[in-house]
Amino acid sequence: MASADHEIHALAGAYVLDAVTDQERGSFAAHLAGCEQCREDVREMRETAARLGAAAAVRPRPELAEQTIAAARRTSQLAPASEQGQGTGAGPARRAVAAVGLAAAVLVLAAAVGLGVLANSTMRQLHRSQGQDRMIAAVLTAPDAVMRTAKVRTGGTATVVMSRRKRAVIFTAHGLRPLPAAESYELWLMSAAGDRPAGTLKMAPGGMAGPAVLSGVAAGDMIGLTVEPATGSPLPTSVPLVMIGPGSV
Amino acid sequence: MNMTGGQASRDGDPPPTGGIGGRPQPSGRPQPSGRPQHLDELLTAVARGDEPAYEAVYGQVSGWVLGIARRVLRDPAQAEEVMQEVLLEVWRTACRFDPRLGSAASWIMTLAHRRAVDRIRSERSKLSREHRAALAVIDYDEVAETVEASLDRERVQRCLASLTRVQRECVSLAYYGGYSYREVAELLGVPAGTVKTRMRDGLIRLRDCLGVR
Repeated sequence: MASADHEIHALAGAYVLDAVTDQERGSFAAHLAGCEQCREDVREMRETAARLGAAAAVRPRPELAEQTIAAARRTSQLAPASEQGQGTGAGPARRAVAAVGLAAAVLVLAAAVGLGVLANSTMRQLHRSQGQDRMIAAVLTAPDAVMRTAKVRTGGTATVVMSRRKRAVIFTAHGLRPLPAAESYELWLMSAAGDRPAGTLKMAPGGMAGPAVLSGVAAGDMIGLTVEPATGSPLPTSVPLVMIGPGSV
Repeated sequence: MNMTGGQASRDGDPPPTGGIGGRPQPSGRPQPSGRPQHLDELLTAVARGDEPAYEAVYGQVSGWVLGIARRVLRDPAQAEEVMQEVLLEVWRTACRFDPRLGSAASWIMTLAHRRAVDRIRSERSKLSREHRAALAVIDYDEVAETVEASLDRERVQRCLASLTRVQRECVSLAYYGGYSYREVAELLGVPAGTVKTRMRDGLIRLRDCLGVR
C-alpha cells in the first residue's frame, strides 16, 4: 500500500498544525505508532510550531496568575504511572483509592465534556450496574488511562477513556442526534484487520449515551460509532460518525 | 543566505518571556541538568505535585499560551479562558509529559493550540460561508501584527519571510488562523493535496531556519 502510505505521510504538517479532521488525526496517530521516522519528524515540527506560538506571546493580566494557581491547588492531578505497586499486598487500600479516584475521574470526564450535569447522570448510570462499575473504575483509574474527546459528525460529542494496560475503553457521549426507533448507535473496534461490533448504545435524554465498556481492545484499534438497525449489525453498514484513536499529545 | 539561526551570541539575550529556543540543544535529548529552572525539569516536578514548580511554569508559559489563544481566537476574553483551561490541564496531566518525546514547551503549546483551534472551529461552524471567507482575509493580513517585541519573535518573522508565499500562507492560516488544510485550500484556491505538502515543506524549512532539533 505504498500510495496510501505516501498519502498519510504527507499529512504530517497538517497534523502538527491541527489542520486535520478528528478522523484524520486518529488515522495519522495510528500511522505514527508504526513509523519511527514520522514520530521524529512530528517531534521536530512540533518544536517548530511551538516557536511560532511563542512568537505571539502577550503578557497576561497579573491577576490571572493568582486565579489560575489557586484553581490548580483545588484540582487533583492525574496519578503518575507507577511501574511498581503490582502485588504489594495493598489490596483493600488500593481498592479504596480506586473508589475515590472513580468519583474524581467521572468529574474530570464531565468537565471535559463541558457539561456539569453529566457528572450526576453519569454517576447514576455508573451505579446502575455493579459489575460494569468495577471495570469502569479500573479503566478510569488505570495509570495509563488516556482521555480523548471528539465531535460526532451528526451532532454531539463523544468522550473515551482508554487504558492499553486494561485493554479496555470507556465510551460516553452527549448531545447525540435522536434516532428513529428502528435505528440505534453502534460502537465498533476498528482496525486494519477488520471491524468488531462493540454493542449498541442506550440513549438517555439530552442525547446522552454510555458509559459503555469496551473490552478486549487491541493496540491499533480505533473506536468508531455508526448508525445501524436497532438490533445492531455484525458489520458497519454506514460511514462512521466519529472515530477516536489513542492519538498523541 | 544565512538563515540557520546561529547558536552563539544572538541567543545570549532572551526576551523577557523567555525564548523557547534560547538554550542550545546539542542533541534531541534532555540535558542532564545543573539548571533546575529549565521548563522540562519544572514540568517533571509539577507531575509530582510541586506547587512552586507550577508557579514557575506558569510564569514561563502563560504568555505563550495566551498569545497563541488570542491569535487564533481574536477575542481577549475567550483567549484568557483558554489560557486558564490549558494551564489547569498542564497541572492536572503533567504526569503525561515525557521529556524523551519532546520538550515541555512543545507539549504545552500543542495542548494550547489544539484547544484554541477546537474553540474557533466550533465558533466558525455557526457562521455563514461568506462570513468565514471575510474572516480569513483579516486573519492573513494580521499575521504580521506584533504585540510585544522580542528577539524570538523577530527571528520567527524572519524565518517566515524566508518561506515561499504559498508555504507561508498555508502555515500561517493553519497555525495562527486555526483553519484546516481543506479550508486553506478553499481560501487560497489551491488543491488540498498541495496545501498538505506546503504545510509540511513550510514547517521543515522553518525548522531548519530556526535551528530546531
